[in-house]
Amino acid sequence: MNSTSRLKRLGLVASTAIFIAMSPALAADITLGSSTEPSSLDPQFSRTGNNQNVAAQIFDRLIEPDPNLQVTPALAESWTNVDPTTWRVKLRPGVVFQDGSPLTTEDVIYSLERAKDIPNSPAPFSGNVGAIASMKAVDPLTIEFKTKSPTPEFIEQIGLVYIVQKKLAEGKSIEAFNDRSAAIGTGAYKVKEWVPGDHITLVRNDKFWGKKPAFDTVTIKFIANDAARVAALRSGSVDLIDAVPPGDVKTLEKTKGIKLSSIASARNIYLALDSSRDESPFVVGADGKPLNPNPLKDQRVRQALSKLINRQLIVDRLLDGAGEPAGQLVPVGIGGSDPSLKPTAPDVAGAKKLLADAGFPQGFGITLHTSNDRFAGDAETAQAIGQMFAQGGLKVNGVVAQPYNVYATAAGKQTFSAFIFSLGNTTPTSATGLRNLLMTQNKEAGTGSFNRTKYSNPAFDAKMKEAMAEFDVEKRVALLKEATKIAIDDVGFVPLFWPKVYWASKDNITYTANRGEDFMATLAGQAQ
Amino acid sequence: MTVFIIRRLSQSLLVLFITSIIVFAGIYAIGNPIDILIAPDATFAEREQAIKALGLDQSLIEQYGTFLWNALHGDLGRSFVFNQPSIDLILNRMPATLELAFVALFLSLAIGIPLGLWSGLRPNSVLDETVMTGSILGFSLPNFWQGMMLIMIFSVWLGWLPSTGRGEVDTVLGMRTSLTSWSGISHLILPAFNLALFKISLVTRLTRSGVRENMPLDFVKFARAKGLSERRIVSVHVLKNIMIPIVTVVGVEFGGIIAFAIVTETIFAWPGMGKLLIDSIMRLDRPVVVAYLLVVVTLFIVINFVVDILYSLLDPRIRLGSAA
Repeated sequence: MNSTSRLKRLGLVASTAIFIAMSPALAADITLGSSTEPSSLDPQFSRTGNNQNVAAQIFDRLIEPDPNLQVTPALAESWTNVDPTTWRVKLRPGVVFQDGSPLTTEDVIYSLERAKDIPNSPAPFSGNVGAIASMKAVDPLTIEFKTKSPTPEFIEQIGLVYIVQKKLAEGKSIEAFNDRSAAIGTGAYKVKEWVPGDHITLVRNDKFWGKKPAFDTVTIKFIANDAARVAALRSGSVDLIDAVPPGDVKTLEKTKGIKLSSIASARNIYLALDSSRDESPFVVGADGKPLNPNPLKDQRVRQALSKLINRQLIVDRLLDGAGEPAGQLVPVGIGGSDPSLKPTAPDVAGAKKLLADAGFPQGFGITLHTSNDRFAGDAETAQAIGQMFAQGGLKVNGVVAQPYNVYATAAGKQTFSAFIFSLGNTTPTSATGLRNLLMTQNKEAGTGSFNRTKYSNPAFDAKMKEAMAEFDVEKRVALLKEATKIAIDDVGFVPLFWPKVYWASKDNITYTANRGEDFMATLAGQAQ
Repeated sequence: MTVFIIRRLSQSLLVLFITSIIVFAGIYAIGNPIDILIAPDATFAEREQAIKALGLDQSLIEQYGTFLWNALHGDLGRSFVFNQPSIDLILNRMPATLELAFVALFLSLAIGIPLGLWSGLRPNSVLDETVMTGSILGFSLPNFWQGMMLIMIFSVWLGWLPSTGRGEVDTVLGMRTSLTSWSGISHLILPAFNLALFKISLVTRLTRSGVRENMPLDFVKFARAKGLSERRIVSVHVLKNIMIPIVTVVGVEFGGIIAFAIVTETIFAWPGMGKLLIDSIMRLDRPVVVAYLLVVVTLFIVINFVVDILYSLLDPRIRLGSAA
C-alpha cells in the first residue's frame, strides 16, 4: 500500500512537472514592457521610433530593415532601376489586409501620396516620398515610378513608408486610426485595444503573408520609468522589456530566470566642435574673452581634442561597458562603415604637441555643454571629457548640463562651442547621416539639416555628392567610405561611442537584438 | 452668498488669464518643440513643413492671440504630439487619476483620523510614540523611494500585488473604473497607498494635535459634567471642532494629489494625467501643458470653494459673504 501511494504521488509530481515544463510553450501570449508609447495609430503620423515600434507590427512597408538595418523585401517582392529616373516595383502577390481585402497597387500609390501631407505631423514621411515625380500602375502588381532627379537610394526612401488601406483611410483624419477603424494593415498583428498611457493589445493576424507570428496575443504595457520597468520584469508582470538601463545590466544578468540580448546601436554619440566661426562664445583666452581666431578652426586643435579623449575608459567606467568606442559615424554592418577607421587612441603627449604646433602651448579656456536626460551617461560623459581636456593643459571653465528640451533648441542656434549630441542612424548606409550631419548647410539642396556647427568641407561635399548620385551599390559604399575618411581626417565631428542597447526577458522568451533599437513582438520568439 | 460667488468667479477668470500668459510664454522660452519631435534623420523640407503645420512659424504674440481667440470659443488647441484636442487628452486620463486620488484620500482619512484620535487621547504612551515615529517616516521618506520599496516587497518578493498598469476596467455610470473587479482593485492598492502615505501622516498629526488642544477646553468639561459618554464627546464634539484645519489642509492636498500625482503615476505606470503633464513638458507640447494647467487652476478654484462651504457647515459662525 505504501509503495502504491508513493507511486501515485510520484506520478502526480511527474505530471505536474510535465505540465510546468510545457506551460511556456502552451501559453502563446506575451506581455511587453515598453519604455515608449506611440502618439497615434496612424503609421504615417510620426516617423519617430515611438510610433514605428507599434506601426511596424500592424502595417508593412515595401521593404523591411533587418537587424543591421539592411534592406529585405517586404510588400515589394522586387524592384528594378530601368533608367536613372525610372523605377519599377513589383508587389508581393496574394497579400491581403487584416479585413480580407487584397493589397493593390492603388493602396500603395495612395499611401505614398498620402505621406506627403499628413495634417499637423511633427515628423512626417514627406522626405521619403519627396523624390517621386509620378507613379502609375503598369499591371495589377507593378508600379512604375518617375523620380524628379536620379535617386539611387529611391527604394530605401519610399520603402520605409507604411502602406495603409485606401478605402479605409481616404478622407479620414487621425481619429479614424486611433479608434482602430482605419488601423487595419497587412502586418503580423491586429490591434484589439489601445488605452493611451496604459497598454495596447494586439492579436495574431492569421492572414499574414510572412512567417507566422510567435504569439496569439501581445500586450504592450507602457512603463516609461526605468526602475519600474525593470521591477515589472522581475515581478513577472511583463515577459520582455526594452531600454534596460546600463546600471541594471549586471544585476539582471545574475538574476535567475532572466536573460539579456544586446547590440551596439547605430546611434552615434559625438562631440560637436564649433569649427566654422572666427569667434566661438565658449572658447576663451586668459582674459575670459572669446579668442579670435577661434582655435577650433584649426584641424590640429580638433585632432588634439580627439586624442585627449579616452573612449574606452568612458565606456568601461561610466557606462559599465554598455557601449562601443567609435571612430566614425556608423558601426560595422552598416553600408559605408570603414573597418580601417579605428577609434582615435588616447595620446596626451601627441595632443599637447599638436596644440603647441597650432600655437596654443598653454592651451585655452573651454566650456563643454551637454544634455542630462537624453541618453544614459550623457552628463557624466561630458564631465569626464572635461577632465580629460584639463589633463591636456586646457582650462576647462565648466561643464554645463541641461535638460534636453532646453538643450536641443539652444544647440541648434550655435549657442555652444563644444557640445555632446547624438545622431540616430535608421538607414542601410551612412549616406543620410553624413548628409545631415556634415555636409554644408543648404536648404535648397536639403543637406546639413543637423549640421549644428555649420561645418563645411568642399572635398567632403564633393565626395558625398558623387556617392549620392552613384547607382551601383558597391561603388556607392566605397565612395561613402572615402567621404567618411575625409571627414574623420579633418575632424568634422568627434565620434565618441555607439551605446549598447539591451533587452531583458524571461528565460523562455528570445529576442532579436537590432541596431535600430526596435522593440516589437515580431522580433520576439519562444525559446525551445 | 451671491456676492461671494460673483466675486470669486471674477477673481478666478483673472487667475486663469494670467496663468495662460505665464505658461504660454514660459514654454515658448524653454525651447522649440520641433527640435524634440522631429525624426532623427529629417530633411530641411520636412522640418519646415512641420514648423508650418504646428503654427510655430508665427511670432509669440500671434500664436498667443490665436490661442486666446480659440480658447474663448471653447477650443484649447490640439496637441503637437498627438494631434488630438488637448482637452480630450486630459479628460480621457482624468478618471484614472480621480479614482487614484479619491482612494488615496479615503485611505488617508480612514487611517489618519483614527490613528490621530487614538494617540491624541493617550499622549506619551507607547502607542502614541510609535504612531508619531511612524508618521515621521511617512513624511520624510521620498515618495519615489516608497513606491520602489512597495514594488520590491509586494510585487517582486512576495508576489502578492501587480506593480504596473491599471488592470481590468469597467464602465459604471459613464465612468471607467477599476473598482469593480479584483484585477482592477489589486492594481490600485499599491499606487493608492504610495500616494496616501504622506497624507496619512499629515492627517494623523493634525488630528492628534487638534485632540490635544481641545481635550482640556471648557466645552469638553461641560460635556463631561452633563454626563455625555466619552465616546460621544470625542466622536461628535471634539471631532467637529478639529475638522476645520483638517479640511483646509486636505482640500489643498487633494488638489495636489489630482494634479501632481506624477511620481506615483510614473512609477506604477498609472495612465493618469500627471504622467501626461510631465511627458508634455519634456516634449514641449505647449497646447497640452497650457490646457492642463488651466484645468488644474480651475480644479483648485472649485476645491477651495467647496472647502469654504464646508467651513460654514462645520462652524456656523463662519459666514461666506465676509469670508472672501
